[in-house]
Amino acid sequence: MQRVNEQLAAALAAEEAAIYAYGPIGVKLTGTGERTEARAAEQAHRNRRDTLVSKLAQLKASAAPAPAGYELPFAVTDRASALKLAVQVEDGVAQAWRVVLPVTTGTDRSNALSALTDSAVRATRWRRLAEVTPVTMPFPGRP
Amino acid sequence: MLGSAGSAVVGATVLAGCGLFGQDDDDPKTADPLQPVLDEALALVAAYDRAVVSQPGLTPRLTPLAADHRAHATELAKLIGGKLPSAGASAPASNASDAVGTVAELRKAEQTAQKNAAAACKQAPAARAALIGSIAACRATHAEALK
Repeated sequence: MQRVNEQLAAALAAEEAAIYAYGPIGVKLTGTGERTEARAAEQAHRNRRDTLVSKLAQLKASAAPAPAGYELPFAVTDRASALKLAVQVEDGVAQAWRVVLPVTTGTDRSNALSALTDSAVRATRWRRLAEVTPVTMPFPGRP
Repeated sequence: MLGSAGSAVVGATVLAGCGLFGQDDDDPKTADPLQPVLDEALALVAAYDRAVVSQPGLTPRLTPLAADHRAHATELAKLIGGKLPSAGASAPASNASDAVGTVAELRKAEQTAQKNAAAACKQAPAARAALIGSIAACRATHAEALK
């Protein structure tokens, strides 16, 4: 149980970081299509975050307190750096959910797999927009 | 009623037991639950190979996807303890993916394969869950890449 709590808390931290990152990402993206995509991604991460908060409350686990301020791994100054960060954020979320798989079963594991899969698919979409090849990786979420 | 059900179970057990000694690992009774995921990975590799032969212009787009499936097959074979068919050997026959040729058909095959891997992930023991989960997610990214 302890491990589940830890992994879910780590997933929560990754989702929070993603929500934070999509702010500056959205500002620097160009074109309504890309911005819509970023907004949809941010909303998806908010939904996952909310579900995780309820789940952790249900498990009576104390989620790690949210850090006072997030720091981006690098400055988002243009479209290229925005796309790069979007890929990095989704890869990070995928990693956080992958380690939830072995410590859960049944519906909880299916939910974790959905989260991993959604992040991997978004990362592929961002790679395609950034014209990064290959657009896929063989084992999404593997560090 | 109970007695006859009981003897049927015993009979099946005895038969399965014979299979362990008398037959090879292809016996479906003794096959690893991940064998279908491995078979599907190999079928997809073959499908991509065929698509590239018939439409060489798609090579840059399809080759990395085929490489992902090869990586899956390698890891799954390691886990199951089986051997991969040597390069050039055809993938398991009578698979639905055999007919795959166009990008749209490949995409459909990826979506089916994703669902199968996701189902296998749900049933898998903890030690295998992460690998199968990644394979399911990868198949989903392929369907996205083929859009």
